[in-house]
Amino acid sequence: MSASSSQALEYLEQLPLQTHKKLYEQPSTVLAIFRCMLPHLAKSIVMALLYIPQPLSSFDLDAWFRPSASRLKKDSLYILEKLHIVEAKPRDTSRFTDYSLAPGFSKSLRQALEGSGRHGSFGVPAPPTEKRKVTIQELDDYAQGQWESLLFYMVGSTVGFHGSVGGDIGEGTKKLLQGGGFVAKNHGKIGITRTGFMFVLQDTNAQVWSLLIEYLKYVDNLGLGMSETDVLSFLFMLGSLELGQDYSTSTLSPTQTQMLDDLTAFGIVYMSHKGAKTFYPTRLAVTLTSDSGALSTTNPNEVVAPGTGATKKGFIIVETNYRLYAYTNSLLQIAVLSLFTKLTTRFPNLVSGKLTRASIARAVQTGISASQIISYLDAHAHPQMQKAVPFIPPTVTDQIRLWELEGERVETTNGYMLKEFQSEKDYREIVKYAEDLGVLVWRGDAEKKLFVDRIEQLQDVLKRQAARRR
Amino acid sequence: MNAIDGTDRHTKVDEGPPPSLLTIVLDTNPHAWAHLSSSLPLSTALANILIFVNAHLASGNANCVAVIAAHSQKACFLYPAPTHVSKRRENGTANGDVEMGGTSDRPPHSIPDNPNKYRPFSTVETAIVNSFTKLMEETHEVDLASTPTTMIGGALSLALSFIAKTTLLHAPVTSRADDMMALADSETTQAQRVPLTSRILIVSVSGDLANQYIPVMNSIFAAQRKRIPIDILKLAGDTVLLQQASDATGGIYMKPENPGGLLQYLMMAFLPDATARTHLVMPSAGGVDFRAACFCHRKVVDIGYVCSVCLSIFCTSQIQGNLCQTCGSYLSLRSAQMNPPALIPKKKKKKRRVGQGTDSATPGGSTPVGSGTPMHS
Amino acid sequence: MDSDYDQESDDVSDDEYLGAKPTAASKATEAGGSRAQKASKPHAWARRGSTPPDNEDEYIPEETQGLEEEAVPEKSIQHMEEDRKRKRLRKDTKPFQRGIIRHVVLVLDLSEAMLEKDMRPNRYAAMIKYSQEYVREFFEQNPISQMSVLGMHDGLCIRVSELSGNPAEHITAIQDLRTPRNPDDIPKEPKGSPSLQNALELARATLYHTPSHGTREVIVVFGSLLSLDPGDVHQTIKACVRDRVRVSIIGMSARLKICTEIVSRTNSGDESEYVVATDQELLRELLLATTTPPVVRATNASRTAPESAAALMMMGFPSRVIEDLPSMCACHGALTTGGYTCSRCSAKVCSLPVTCPSCQLTLLLSTHLARSYHHLFPLRNWAEVSWHRAREVNSKECISCLSPFPEPPPLQDDGPLFPTTDSQAGPNGHGVSDIRTSKNTAQPEDEDAEQKASESSRYECRVCESHFCIDCDMFCHMVLHNCPGCLSKVNPVEVQNGDVDMAGAS
Repeated sequence: MSASSSQALEYLEQLPLQTHKKLYEQPSTVLAIFRCMLPHLAKSIVMALLYIPQPLSSFDLDAWFRPSASRLKKDSLYILEKLHIVEAKPRDTSRFTDYSLAPGFSKSLRQALEGSGRHGSFGVPAPPTEKRKVTIQELDDYAQGQWESLLFYMVGSTVGFHGSVGGDIGEGTKKLLQGGGFVAKNHGKIGITRTGFMFVLQDTNAQVWSLLIEYLKYVDNLGLGMSETDVLSFLFMLGSLELGQDYSTSTLSPTQTQMLDDLTAFGIVYMSHKGAKTFYPTRLAVTLTSDSGALSTTNPNEVVAPGTGATKKGFIIVETNYRLYAYTNSLLQIAVLSLFTKLTTRFPNLVSGKLTRASIARAVQTGISASQIISYLDAHAHPQMQKAVPFIPPTVTDQIRLWELEGERVETTNGYMLKEFQSEKDYREIVKYAEDLGVLVWRGDAEKKLFVDRIEQLQDVLKRQAARRR
Repeated sequence: MNAIDGTDRHTKVDEGPPPSLLTIVLDTNPHAWAHLSSSLPLSTALANILIFVNAHLASGNANCVAVIAAHSQKACFLYPAPTHVSKRRENGTANGDVEMGGTSDRPPHSIPDNPNKYRPFSTVETAIVNSFTKLMEETHEVDLASTPTTMIGGALSLALSFIAKTTLLHAPVTSRADDMMALADSETTQAQRVPLTSRILIVSVSGDLANQYIPVMNSIFAAQRKRIPIDILKLAGDTVLLQQASDATGGIYMKPENPGGLLQYLMMAFLPDATARTHLVMPSAGGVDFRAACFCHRKVVDIGYVCSVCLSIFCTSQIQGNLCQTCGSYLSLRSAQMNPPALIPKKKKKKRRVGQGTDSATPGGSTPVGSGTPMHS
Repeated sequence: MDSDYDQESDDVSDDEYLGAKPTAASKATEAGGSRAQKASKPHAWARRGSTPPDNEDEYIPEETQGLEEEAVPEKSIQHMEEDRKRKRLRKDTKPFQRGIIRHVVLVLDLSEAMLEKDMRPNRYAAMIKYSQEYVREFFEQNPISQMSVLGMHDGLCIRVSELSGNPAEHITAIQDLRTPRNPDDIPKEPKGSPSLQNALELARATLYHTPSHGTREVIVVFGSLLSLDPGDVHQTIKACVRDRVRVSIIGMSARLKICTEIVSRTNSGDESEYVVATDQELLRELLLATTTPPVVRATNASRTAPESAAALMMMGFPSRVIEDLPSMCACHGALTTGGYTCSRCSAKVCSLPVTCPSCQLTLLLSTHLARSYHHLFPLRNWAEVSWHRAREVNSKECISCLSPFPEPPPLQDDGPLFPTTDSQAGPNGHGVSDIRTSKNTAQPEDEDAEQKASESSRYECRVCESHFCIDCDMFCHMVLHNCPGCLSKVNPVEVQNGDVDMAGAS
């Protein structure tokens, strides 16, 4: 599971059982959820359960996991149950629980793996025609252009750049960005927000997901009668399509046809004209359900050779003296860099500048966090920088953090305070449990108080305690 | 609050499990599969393995797979297929991410456009099935008659060099010094950055591998050095050699009672990759027989005599003309007999015990006089 | 080189960042300064008394030569790269008789010269670190060999660990030099001067009782530039020669005449066992290079009685026992719940290979013997493939990793494309890895010549005629020791690894 898909997971988790059931009817959706959303161990559990004839008891499951991994096991099972993938039934007479896969999920996953069934959920390719096919290069250019102009719309106005990189973006997209709180209108001028910054500094894949989740919420609120499951399964289907292949629109539901227009505007799919009979997924789409960088931002023209997944193309060099050199001529990247760098010189293929206390402080004030800056630098480090571990000189990362800390002395965590426990025993039990779950933020043993950032799983224990007292 | 320590500098290390390369060595010896045909025909086994491959590909976005057939007269790649079958090299970087320009020049009939199947799956499946059919077509009766064994040694060597190369390609851009160290197989650099975890699964059906002892042993040591676990799924036959392989490399050894349940065994025991295995209890070989067999009579020996030049093991010190049967060196027993006099009284006591101890292993073979001397080395 | 620096800098910055904000300028000079220092360090190490060109220097002439012919710089760089890699291959792959059963005395310099900081953090620490790694690798490669560790300081030679075959003993003994387990012991700090004579005498005494079928080797890590000897070192050298002791020296500062003499006298005139490590990476490589068993010289065999050279050794192959209740092991006297019982006296030992503590029988597993087989039946070097040959065979991709080969050029370009490669070969070009070659191996066949890059990026196995890429070439010869091509076909299998039918386990 990657960081980019974790927000999608969060969204999925809060869907009700009915929606899940509906979603799991499509093998492509099931496969995509399995591939991208589940933690690694959960995948092992699912696969072990997939072809087993009878349910697996919790006793066997415990024996399978090493004792040291009990927390991970709990986490995995929690997610699986939350997504209604695994069903837990208490076994009659014993204290063990039986785990089995939800029938719909297991049927669809089997179909996906075996390639059986007649569901056509992996996209129906358009019949070959005489017409020239759109090349992958053109698709990449298109996706790159659309996406960059979207980003530039957000960043450009903030840093005072004018003009645009790839043409204007549609009204609908603008509305969506505002609705998602990525940009805000101040005195008739578009300004980027804190969430917007986070959005911009993410890698492309994560950006696409955040935008699509906003899109889901947006569609929901609009009440256009677009069904949520339809939208979701179409997105997951897009992720399993093949780049450079054209697919027929004939099998799509009305909702999905409607979506195509919006997705074309984002650059996620390409249609030669409105209402065309076929559509092409772009690289943004096919990488929805994979980890690899969607659009290698520096060199979109360079073929991402297979097997070089680990070596991302980077362009930024940071020296220990805080000087920064970026081999780029993309206006967007320069704009992003200028958010936290004091840029001094620009050459045809290079900009240089310096990370200064002032520039970082300014960035922090506008809502960018030090770790975002560092991870951006890290993600785009030049191959020369990648030779060293860590990529970015430690002096620089430490200093960026220190500069950030100058402004913030207090860190806030949203969560719940639990206090006034009846007994020491109750308190300790809860603390232990919270620790196991990894939700404990702070504890004060003297006053029997603790602070957790998530409470859902604790509620069971609390209820049990309450019941015991009665 | 203000404390910044160096611990969180490596921010970008563990986002997810590293991609995993699964190399399956499939023993396709027709003789052995013929024996198994009642409980598990080869076609069913292949279908199960294909599902297993798909499951592996689904388990990680950058996972890749290679399948090698260890046939009776040759070992060859099934997937990725060598050039003349298909141009594709391996399963690319990501499942959905297909090599550029792939569509335009691919012959339209090679991979059927099946809307019910995830494209990367069907690509792999088609390639495997095609090369497998080809392999079977090329197998003639003559080949089968000549050798009853399988080319496990060759298949293992192919698998290891393929893994070595793929690992090299996956490695982040390294300076030349790093490159050299990687080749020099330095343990330190390997531990530092492992961008690709690999493992080998041998689905074995045939027994005796004695004629490939040295190549297989060399492969085992190479796998050990490269930290590549070798998993063994033994459907039929029995080889101590493969047991040793899984034991030495930290792999899984399984000899299922009922070969029909192949898929469940694969899914439960062999699917978890190195990352998951750190959290799971995996079945292992248990007691492995490490005793040696002598080169002269193939007897399992407890105490053997070893040629100091070529390390051949003999069960007796009375070898013909005192010449080593393997390397032809003249072997002196004199040096083995030369001892500090103080040890002589002890010698007799011990010899008696030896006689008792080895009776079962070397039936009727009385230890020659004067050879039971402790060797002082 | 750069990456070296960057990693080291971690430690430096840790201490600095909490102070006042370091001014960028001072940081810059600091960084630049030490980087420059590092880069300008002379690569004065040498093998066989000559200075091989540094990698960077090597590049320039070759590249320009290539450019004269044709403007394909990338190609010639790739070519150079392959050339460099292949130099690391062993030059002789004839199955020589090698001293598989080795008796090695590792002599560590503990004199004040080891406090030099040209290795990080200093020579002493680097040596301790690498020698532990070396011990582990040594026993990995030579499981049935014995080792002892000595140390030189204050003109004395002390025994760090006794002659034994248990790597753990040596590793803890070496570790104890710096960080003793017993808190009462003071860690040994390098001091005084070393004495080569004392060290050689003690090593000779240690090796005196070892059986004649094994080798007697002394490996000295020598950081000092002087030796403080009580008597005439030449007498000691003579005694060493008489006792068949072979001495290898890894120096750290400069080449010394006396070391050259010791090495050349004890190795029948071959000076290649005296090497100087200029940085820690090289020290490590040079140490690890000595893990390959040395070739047994004909001169040695003829000097001693022929029948004593080889012998039949008695060895025990115990089986593993697993007990429910812990019992005492004979080797450490510690309570353990499992182990191996000696085949002769049934004493329990906890790890293998080991010499039975009670009856002195060598106990090991068949796999330990198998570890040494690749020294005995080495994989023959693969031949370079000319464009002509490549076209003839029409190989498209490496047989073992399936990576595609470059297409052969059109016919008229054949021939003078890379005429310069041959001029590259010379006695100077030996990389650090070409291991012990002996005088009597001069063969007319080019198999034993310097291994060079192939113009077509293909390498051909002489037996099965399969073509491989450079990476598989390196992997198969340095790690795997199998030819995937030969083993994948029925017929050539026997030819490949010597027609020995060795069946270890039934």
